[in-house]
Amino acid sequence: MTDDRRTISRSTFLKGAGGSIAALGLGPFADNALAATRPKRGGQLRVGYVGGGTAETINPYLAVTPIDEGRVQSIFDPLVLLNADLSLSPGLALEWLPNKTATEYEVKLRHDVTFHNGKPFGAADVIHSIHLMAGKTSAALPFVSNINVRDLKAVNKTTVRIPLKRPDGNLMANFVYYNTWIAQKGEKNFAHPIGTGPFKFQSFTPGQQSVFVRNPDYWGHGGPYVDSLKIVSISDPTARLNALLSGQIDAMAQLDYAQAKAHQRIGDIKVLVAHAPQVLMFYIDTTKPPFNDNRVRLAMKLIADRPTLIKDAISGFGTVGNDIVGKGLPFYDDSIPQRTQDIDRAKSLLKAAGHQGLKVTLQTSDIVPGFVASATLLAQQAKAAGVTIHLQQVPASSYFNPSLKYLKMLFAETQWPPSSLKFFYLQALAANAPYNETHWHSKSFNGLLFKAIGEKNHAKAQAYWNHIQKIQWEQGGYLSWTNADFVDALSKKIRGLKPSSAGILGNHRFQDAWLS
Amino acid sequence: MLVFLARRIAGALAALLAASILIFAAVELLPGSPASAVLGRDATPAAVKVLTHRMQLDRPASARYLDWLKRFVHGDLGDSAVALAQGEQHAPIWHLISGPLKNSAILAAISALLMIPLSLGLGALAAVRAGKPTDHAISIGSLVAISLPEFVTGSLLVAIFFVGLHWLPPVAIVPPGADPLGSPKQLILPVTTLLFASLASGIRMVRAGTYEVLQTEFVQTARLNGLAERRVILRYALRNALAPSVQVLAQNLQYLVGGVIVVEAVFAYPGIGSQLVLAVQNRDVTVVQSVAMLIAVVYVTINLVADLTVMLLVPKLREPV
Repeated sequence: MTDDRRTISRSTFLKGAGGSIAALGLGPFADNALAATRPKRGGQLRVGYVGGGTAETINPYLAVTPIDEGRVQSIFDPLVLLNADLSLSPGLALEWLPNKTATEYEVKLRHDVTFHNGKPFGAADVIHSIHLMAGKTSAALPFVSNINVRDLKAVNKTTVRIPLKRPDGNLMANFVYYNTWIAQKGEKNFAHPIGTGPFKFQSFTPGQQSVFVRNPDYWGHGGPYVDSLKIVSISDPTARLNALLSGQIDAMAQLDYAQAKAHQRIGDIKVLVAHAPQVLMFYIDTTKPPFNDNRVRLAMKLIADRPTLIKDAISGFGTVGNDIVGKGLPFYDDSIPQRTQDIDRAKSLLKAAGHQGLKVTLQTSDIVPGFVASATLLAQQAKAAGVTIHLQQVPASSYFNPSLKYLKMLFAETQWPPSSLKFFYLQALAANAPYNETHWHSKSFNGLLFKAIGEKNHAKAQAYWNHIQKIQWEQGGYLSWTNADFVDALSKKIRGLKPSSAGILGNHRFQDAWLS
Repeated sequence: MLVFLARRIAGALAALLAASILIFAAVELLPGSPASAVLGRDATPAAVKVLTHRMQLDRPASARYLDWLKRFVHGDLGDSAVALAQGEQHAPIWHLISGPLKNSAILAAISALLMIPLSLGLGALAAVRAGKPTDHAISIGSLVAISLPEFVTGSLLVAIFFVGLHWLPPVAIVPPGADPLGSPKQLILPVTTLLFASLASGIRMVRAGTYEVLQTEFVQTARLNGLAERRVILRYALRNALAPSVQVLAQNLQYLVGGVIVVEAVFAYPGIGSQLVLAVQNRDVTVVQSVAMLIAVVYVTINLVADLTVMLLVPKLREPV
């Protein structure tokens, strides 16, 4: 399941410019009409996800697939809550107070929260959880790699001191993602996980289903409304939809695009659509000819007709990409003009670079929905500029495997659900970035990146980030054509679950759901 | 008799040994290495090294093979490679697949219990009515059914009985630990799909065998002696036609072992097939290895039992040559 680390469904986070949720509840059953209705208590909510088989886990620090995410977010709570519009609000942590240099934080925690076993939540639990996040095989490692884990300190029962290795002006952004949610002190193997979340653990069988019951003492306001929550693994997309249509489940994750279109028309179920910052991109090795010449890279970006790609490759379920990553996330630069198709300019750039009649090979794979279709379309669009793109299909098993094909391709496709600009740039474009797909190496760029990350002052940080994104937009090796939507489905009797840019199925907020 | 038995069993063991070598080699030959395959996008050199060690891939293949085989014989299927990659200390495969295995066995058993009498009955009926409309209907119907792949049959049945008529549920979700027989309605479509795909060859074989016997002199004699037609068919014709049919029925039982994989995926039935499909998707090589080997064992066992059954039905085979 490791390829799913960054598959289309992985949720994303962080506060953003807001307003990135637009096409909400496109069916004729928009929730607004019922907003005035008071939520009803009781019943069982049954949710179907793509299963992960034996790889499924309930341990937040190992979890990698959407179904794991749904479970973790039901049982545990984050330090920082990610809202549907990608803004942040206090979760288990109320305040984040950096020192002058942003190299140490004091974090004030809520003091009115108890775990499912009645013990009060406090600093020791946060410290224990960060230790688990820093474990060797932890999926949360990138989020805590900048923390001096050994020197974590409980200042008092509800204050933690977090020392850093290098400055970070926005540390709270690291503690939103479900891999960083908070377990109880002493938790080891998660055989019977204890959290502070809206649901209490009852049972879990990997690859089949898990059952949780309502936490009546939940600290968050409102729900949970349902008595119990059943999460079922159904991997076949048609079987998952059939289960929803026949009433054997009430909600399903990841509805196929074509089926989403059809059921929006029929209106027998609610199709839940949320714009999201998960980006689909073509990428280019910027160090190898002909792409070591920026004019050629730019020409490729000008060849793409993005609206057509979105319409035909992903049935229109996406917003236009602009060759930079993280639309809707904090520090994303909305002021950069939208790049559009310009065949004449592409031609003259290629001519100037001496690459008229360019022939290149684009490696694609059916690992992510939309990859092969978008590659085929791009090849057609390139013909207008005299560019011949040969397509080569790579087996899904080696496409993202760095010991096989991945990171060795000249021209290929990728997909990122960026958790924040910080993490995308650290993972893909910094010096020593583990997934440097475009082979981007620039000392000055790297310096700028760490300045941006370490800056406490929001306006100054924004200025650094704008500079970084301008460089990528002008010279980078990414052609991002879309930010793909989250598309899920609900039965008509489910209320309260709203589309969220933060994650699929309304960011798995089952505490908000109720049965009419 | 004993010599025959011993030879058969030895043959079965040899087949299993060959299968085990093939299965083990197939995993060894994955591009990169099994550890790299399991890790996928996380297959950084350091991660590959750690998992290579944890999966003991740094030991010679022959030693690992013998070790795997020895443990398999003792009922230890090993640990899930993906779970190890995720950092779990222990993830016994048996614990993960025993429940699904039981569910699949139940699905296959119900299908087999229906398949055998249906094949015999419809086959004999077609033979008795040879050349008449009943015969044509049975032959053509069964041929059409077998020419459709299971996922098409399954989808068609869902389209008719769920989307069209709303009679039957389109998926068979069984909670872990629950008995699939507790909600028998859910099993109707999966079992029907399996029967559609497996009945035809049995029916045709039984029909051919019975038809042939019906033409023989002793059946004619029996008829001329005034025996009731029912008695002629059941007592004389069908019994003699049975021997060749047993092999075909055994083949169909073996088909069921493989057929459940597709059918389970179509109906989201939590069986061993669904587990195998997921294990392949997850590139959980140790689970794939062990499940494939288990399926091989079932296959060979069915074959062995079929051979022995034929021997019991045909006395000639029991005599030493």
